[in-house]
Formats: sequence, C-alpha cells, structure tokens
Amino acid sequence: MEHTIEVRNLYKFYRVGDSVVRALNGLNFTIAAGEFCAIVGTSGSGKSTLLNMLAGLEKPTKGEIIISGKHIEKLTEAELVRFRREHVGFIFQSFHLLGTLNALENVALPLSFRGERRASRMKKAEKLLDMVNLGNHKKHLPVQMSGGQQQRVGVARALVTGAEIIFADEPTGNLDSHTSADVMRLMQKVVKEQKRTLVMVTHDEHLASYADRIFHISDGEIVKIEEKEKEDNEGK
Amino acid sequence: MNLTDLLKMSLGNLKRRKLRTFLTILGVVIGTASIVVMISLGLGLQQSMYDEVEQSGGLTTLTVSGQTAGEGMAYYYSGSETEESTKYITDDTVKEFSQIPHVKLAAPVYNMSAYLLKGKYTGYLQIVATTREALENMNIELRPGGSLPRENSSTLEFVYGNGLLTQFYEKNSGRGYWETGELPDIDLEHDNMFLILNTTAYDNAQSGQNPSDTESGTGENSQKPQTAKKYVVQASGVVSGDADSYNTHYYNAYCDIETLKTVLKREFAGSAIPGQPVTKTGKPYRFFAYSSATVKVDELDNVEEVSSMLRSMGYNVQSNIEYMESMKSQFAIVQAVLGGIGAVSLLVAAIGIANTMMMSIYERTKEIGVMKVLGCSLKNIRQMFLLEAGFIGFLGGVIGNILSFIISGAVNVVTGTMGSSMGLTSSISYIPFWLVLVSLGFAILVGMAAGYFPARRAMRLSPLAAIRNE
Repeated sequence: MEHTIEVRNLYKFYRVGDSVVRALNGLNFTIAAGEFCAIVGTSGSGKSTLLNMLAGLEKPTKGEIIISGKHIEKLTEAELVRFRREHVGFIFQSFHLLGTLNALENVALPLSFRGERRASRMKKAEKLLDMVNLGNHKKHLPVQMSGGQQQRVGVARALVTGAEIIFADEPTGNLDSHTSADVMRLMQKVVKEQKRTLVMVTHDEHLASYADRIFHISDGEIVKIEEKEKEDNEGK
Repeated sequence: MNLTDLLKMSLGNLKRRKLRTFLTILGVVIGTASIVVMISLGLGLQQSMYDEVEQSGGLTTLTVSGQTAGEGMAYYYSGSETEESTKYITDDTVKEFSQIPHVKLAAPVYNMSAYLLKGKYTGYLQIVATTREALENMNIELRPGGSLPRENSSTLEFVYGNGLLTQFYEKNSGRGYWETGELPDIDLEHDNMFLILNTTAYDNAQSGQNPSDTESGTGENSQKPQTAKKYVVQASGVVSGDADSYNTHYYNAYCDIETLKTVLKREFAGSAIPGQPVTKTGKPYRFFAYSSATVKVDELDNVEEVSSMLRSMGYNVQSNIEYMESMKSQFAIVQAVLGGIGAVSLLVAAIGIANTMMMSIYERTKEIGVMKVLGCSLKNIRQMFLLEAGFIGFLGGVIGNILSFIISGAVNVVTGTMGSSMGLTSSISYIPFWLVLVSLGFAILVGMAAGYFPARRAMRLSPLAAIRNE
C-alpha cells in the first residue's frame, strides 16, 4: 500500500528558559493513503506539535517528514504555502471562517488562492455545501450559523480543493457531544467515499474511536498504535 | 488570486470597519485637498501672469531701447554710461530693425507725460505714442464703438486706459480718486479735454511764477519762460473694462506717433523738446530720438536669434520671454512652498494610514494565519494589504479633489470682485487636469507607501497563530 505520510526520527525540542523541553522525541510511523488516523494524547503530549509539523507550519529540530514523496522539512515558507495549497486541507477547532464572507465564499476561498475562476469555484463550493447538508445556508454569514453548521462549512472548505490529505485539529473541540458525533460521522463518510487521508488530533478517546487507526502519544513518544478491525470495510 | 478577488477581499475588510476607514480617508482627503488648493493658488497667479503677457503683445514682441529719450521713465545718466547703450532709437534705426530677418514689424515708441484738463479736474497722463501697426499688434480690447487713433491727422486722438480717471484730481481740493473713492464726472469717450504737453511751463504758471494768461501762443522768446499751450483732444476709443479691472493699459493713453511728433515740434519750436538729446551747446539734433522700439518676431523660435542680433547692434533688448523666465522660477519657488505646506498634511495622513493598517493587522492576525494555512501565497497577502492602503489613498484622493474644486470655486467667487481690483485678471485659484491626475496618483502612492511595512508584517506573520487555541 502506498504511504502518503512517512515520518522518520522526528524530534522537536523547545527551549523554555534554561531547560529544554522535548516535545517530540523520535517518532517513526507511516500513514497510508485513504486512511483515517487519530492522534490521541493529553494536553502537552506533543500531539498538536506533531500535527503542525505534518502540515508544515513548524520546522522539526531533527528528522524527516515525507508527504506525497516530498521532504517538507526542507521547503521554504513560500514553498510550504504552495504545498499546502495543492495537497492539504485543514479543519480548525474554532472553525476560523472569514467573517466578511458568506458560507459559499468561505468554501470557495482556497480555490480563489489557486486562481480559479469565480464561476467554476462557486459551482464546486455549492456542490460541497450540498454534500454537508448546508444547501439552505449558502448565503449565510458565519455569525448567522450555529457551531455545528460552521464546522460543516469548515469541512467543506477543507475538501473543496480535492486535497489528498486533510488535517483536523480538535475539529469538535468547540461543539457539544451530539453535534460532535454528526461532524465525526460526516468526516468518516467523506474519507471513505472520496478516498482521502484524514489525520485528526484529539484528546477524546471516544471521538478517536471513529478512526481506522489510533496513535496514542505521550511525552512526545508513540506509546500505542491501536488498529481497528473494520468489519464493514472490505477494501482495507 | 486574481485582481478582482484581491480587490473584493480588501474592500470587504475596509467595509467591515466603516468608521475607522472613514476617519483614515478623511485624513487623506484633507491632505490631498490642501496640496491641490495650495498649488492651484500658485497656478492661478501664474495664469494671471500669462494673461498679462498675452495682453502686452505675447512672447514674440521685443522692446528695444537705446539711450534714454522721452520722459516716460526718464532717468538721466550724467557720466559713467558704461552699460547703457550710446545709440538712440531713430527713424533710421527702426528701418534698420525692420530689415533684420524674421522681424515682422518694427515700430518706434515714444513715452512722455502730460496733463489733461477738464473742468475742475486735472489728470496726469502717461502718453505712449507708436504707429498704428504696433497698436494693432498690442491686441488692445476697446469698448464698443472705439477705434484706434488715425494716422497723421492734424489733431491728436487718444485711446485712453480704463483706469485713467483714477489719475484725475480736483484742482481746488487736490483730492483724487484714491482719496475720495469717487471717480470724477468725466465721460472719457465723448468729452473734449485740454491737453498740456509742456508740463514744466504749466507747473510754473500754476505756481504763480508766470501769471500771464495761459491761452497765448508759443513762447517765442527763449529768455522768457514758455507758456504751455492747450490742445483740445478727444478719445478715439477707451480700453474696455471699468476702473476696477486692472490691465497693462490701465493708466496709459495711446496715440499716433507722427501726429504727436508734429504737435511736439510745433509746441517746442526753436528749443529742444524735453527729454530729447541735445548737443553740448544745448541745441537739439536733427533726428527725433524715440524711447524704445517695438520689434515683432515672426516665430517664437527666432526670438532668441533676433534679440541677440539687436544686442550685438548695441541696443538693450527686453522681451516677455525673459520676464517670464524670471517669473517662472519665482513661481516655482512659490508653488514648492505652498505645495510643501500641503504635503505636510498628507504626511500626517500617511501616518494615519500606517496606523490603521497596523491596527487592522493586529486584529486580523488569526485571519491572516488561517489564510496562510489554507494556502494563500505570501505575495497575495501582501498585495491584499497594499491594495487596502492604496484604496484608502485613492478614495481620499478622489474626495480630496472634489473638495478642492469646491474650495477653489468658493475662493474664486469670494475674491472675484476683490481680486480684480488687486490686479489679478483671472481667477486666483486654478486647477488644471494634470494636477487632478498627479494629486490622485500621489495620494495612492502615499497610501501604498504607508501600507508597505504593515503589509510586509502581515506577510511574515506565523500561520501558527491561527491554530493556537485560546
């Protein structure tokens, strides 16, 4: 199976005052294409640092990160931006929709960064909004929508570019448990249907159980990899 | 991102903070308006100077002078005439001038002062005598019905300047227009007036040195003081405009030079005409010396050539070009000073823009980070903020220009009546089209320059700030 994400000997140290904090302490793992992975750990375990590094938002101290065959730890900032634009979608904990744009425009935003024409990107955005069941809220501004609706817009925005890898940072952290379950099921469905790779960071064991594979991380080290046998998935 | 998308994003951000955007734009409006209005004042002055030059024969007319003759601006050098030309302007020299290539017209000019009498009023008259051709060349605008003086007529005819009446005073009280503020009751166009050419004799008579009747003929005896003869003169025309509108012909009276020469020779028969050169023994020369000559050149490009030719012939040459050149450099200074005052307020506005942009970036740190995470290129982010700043400059420039036109119009209306009596013939504030474009471009440039460093800062913000959860 093709490895979309490959991490080798990943270290990240922070200097806090005189002492050095080892946020990541020699990680090695691979994630296959089309996989839904969850990274679970308590706060301070280094899970968010790991996600930032996978998305190219932070530089590792040492080690290699190969995504779609590219060593992203060697890219410059401008190259990283282009890399994210072309290969990565991102779902945030606090949604981070632009307040001046309506739902449709927010979804179409990553496409406009690619320089796509307005007509074609609006069509794509509409299709995505229909898919996340927000067909009736296309013209609504973020403030006019509930948290769950906003996060579904966020999911649509991450998917619209057709990026092969989606990163989600506590995607349901600001939602109640009922809405969380909705959003999780939506993400699960999308990954399965569209063969995307989803890497989700969470501290919630229950939410992590939606994933195919769960990395338990503690003090910068992977302590356990939990593989869920998919009884309903024949194409594993 | 293409330009329309960038523009839409920028405008959306400006709309989000309406009051702040408005206040920032207001700063640019005031800055632009002060620059434009200040420069327009300088340009208005320049424009009125051009008009004046146009009135006095345009740029192709040269005034050539030799040794001083006539009494108009008579100042006599006694000994050391090193720089002053030693040649007189005579009929022969004028003929010589007219044969120089590119010279379209050469005409003699004679300046002298005289008195005009009418009832209880005495007026001081500055006579400018020249040929009809030269008068036509001056483009004098006459009141309807007026014409230029006839050539070689037996009686003198004048074209009076429209401000001539201000030169009259009442004989008894000695008070004139400038004291009383009232113009004498004289109809310049139709009234006959007495002209005194021999002003020295008339003054002597008035002060009581020669109490004999002033109506007698010319003094035959050179020992006795001459008596001044009165000539009845009439206007052939009056320069258009009333006493409130100043122009170059304001105080002058124009007449035909041949007629004046004839009259002068008769008046001062037997003795030298005042202001005319005399020999060592006090006898007049056989020629008549003019004050200056007007030389009209066919093309502007040939003015320099002709004037240097005339200088090499030993005459002093004065052209409007030189006058204009010297005025131009003076106006450049005036405009730079006025524009500089305006520029200070635009500088303050630029600081306002920079401040607004910095505030905006601090507020939107998260948003910028999100866009970076979503793949918005660094270039686009910088462009977005530059566009925002540039748009503030643009809008401020547009409104500032509109405001300038309003202020300029108001200034012109308010000073309209006042300005003309101060000698400003055209409007005091003048905004040409290029000034609108330049000021607009400048406002945009200032906006973008002020937005440049904030935009760079935005570009360098870490995308991590976006995903940090509070």
